[in-house]
Amino acid sequence: MSKITLDHVSYVYSKGTPYEQKALDDVSLSIRDHCITGIIGHTGSGKSTMMQLLNGLAAPTSGKVLLDGYDVNTTFEDLFAQWKSLPKYENLSKSAAKKAIKKDIKDFRRRLCFRVGLVMQYPEYQLFEETVYKDIAFGPQNMGLSEEEIRERVMEAAAFSGVEPEWMEKSPFDLSGGQKRRVALAGVIAMRPEVLVLDEPGAGLDPRGRNSIFEKIVHYQKTTGSTVLIVSHSMEDMARLCDDVVVLYRAKIVKQGSGREVFSHADELSKIGLDIPQITRLLQMLKEKGMPISDDIYTVDEAVAALKQIL
Amino acid sequence: MKGISFGQYYPANSVIHRLDPRTKVILAILYIVCTFLCKSAVGFGVLVLSTVLLVLLSRIPLRLILKSMRPMLMIIAFTSIINIFWTKGEHLLTPDGWWLKIYAEGLWNALFMVLRITVLIMATSVFLTYTTTPLAMTDALEQLLSPLKKLRFPVHETAMMMSIALRFIPTLSEETEKIMNAQKARGADFSSGGLLQRAKALIPILIPLFVSAIGRAFDLASAMECRCYHGGEGRTRLRVLKYHWFDFATMLLMVGFGVGVFFLNRIGIGYVLR
Repeated sequence: MSKITLDHVSYVYSKGTPYEQKALDDVSLSIRDHCITGIIGHTGSGKSTMMQLLNGLAAPTSGKVLLDGYDVNTTFEDLFAQWKSLPKYENLSKSAAKKAIKKDIKDFRRRLCFRVGLVMQYPEYQLFEETVYKDIAFGPQNMGLSEEEIRERVMEAAAFSGVEPEWMEKSPFDLSGGQKRRVALAGVIAMRPEVLVLDEPGAGLDPRGRNSIFEKIVHYQKTTGSTVLIVSHSMEDMARLCDDVVVLYRAKIVKQGSGREVFSHADELSKIGLDIPQITRLLQMLKEKGMPISDDIYTVDEAVAALKQIL
Repeated sequence: MKGISFGQYYPANSVIHRLDPRTKVILAILYIVCTFLCKSAVGFGVLVLSTVLLVLLSRIPLRLILKSMRPMLMIIAFTSIINIFWTKGEHLLTPDGWWLKIYAEGLWNALFMVLRITVLIMATSVFLTYTTTPLAMTDALEQLLSPLKKLRFPVHETAMMMSIALRFIPTLSEETEKIMNAQKARGADFSSGGLLQRAKALIPILIPLFVSAIGRAFDLASAMECRCYHGGEGRTRLRVLKYHWFDFATMLLMVGFGVGVFFLNRIGIGYVLR
């Protein structure tokens, strides 16, 4: 069973008003563990909403979000209704069980944030501490870890996300945009989340900064073997980085599978108005001109190899 | 944070919505004067009737207007209690010898006070908050206060500041929500602990919010300067406010109403304030 599963999840904004809008419509999805999964879609396709559901910042209007098979939005009422049949609480008196359940739900919600680390869009705007070190340590501190443990995690996270040791005592506001983003990324990695979720990690950076941050993420995933989800509208980056790809379109999943599978249907994707990687488009055109090129090439390196063979 | 409503403008197509915003400001002031001129039971009756008429004319749901009253309930209750117990008059209602003395005049005073406050809030919300957009409102204030320029009061600048502030309220509230979510994702806890702990928990929200607000202010200032903004001198407007005959007519009507209410004070039915 995979760690993160969405089970018929729908999310509606401003329900019951004229402004009602479906952000997710009956989406079911299992994220493969220990892999990088890319979630691709236009603005307004529901991808950012999906991110917020994963760590409990928002609850779905209907359906379930499961982490290790456990509904993350289990409410007090859900548990209390059946406390007698739950081995954990069955030996307690009613009031003690009530208390224990309340506490457990609260604890779970809080731990959920640490287990599913969410890096929001433009995360550099969340920096606030006096020094970079303290800012990265904010998450681990909230986890209630010891001083040494925090130090170790901060250093590890800083190394992963490319935060230079000499920045540690600087104010985060003295860093450049790209540097700040790395600090923000470290701030989430320092919690050692089982699942790392990133919302447009490359947005607003120049190509070099973008590539560098993606490299860091891939390296982090390869080293720790954690499950990583990246949300982006850039087919290009996702094609290059992700093991699996999920394509969202108008609140529904239209394609899902390995990068190769999804991008071999490039013509279908472009029919519904989604961008396909430029290299795929180029090869498609060459193929139409009569060149013998296979359908499932979607990175520049592969394309170069394929073209060399033909020439 | 989502439900923040500011200005509470209620879009509808009514006579009052169509009035010039300056007229509405003047009408609101005149109406307030009327409520204070009014001292007789008959006068208050007429005032209540005219307020009901105003609400009907504005086509704003009564529910909304009652909602705007809610924050004032405490004040209304407080003033009426004070009036009931602390007014001395001639007609004692409680039996002789009681330490608690309530006079008929006290009850009347309390009733008038409650009516006065209610009418005041209802009328101003009909004329100003519900039927006038905040931007139209600042425009109106700028023009109405423009004589103060002679006294070197920076009227245009103040109005500009007001409209910029109004413009950025939704932006800032959206931003606050984003930052709160980001900090929650790092395990920040805003809802437990004592007062001091909760105040401290706000630091991770306030600092990024201030930083971005200040940054935004600088950007906005540069953008305005790039488009040669240099204050109100010689600046033309996109929407020019224009009085119509209807505006003058309503103002005249309101003055007439005030005079009428004043003369109603002479009718001694019920009770008349001294």
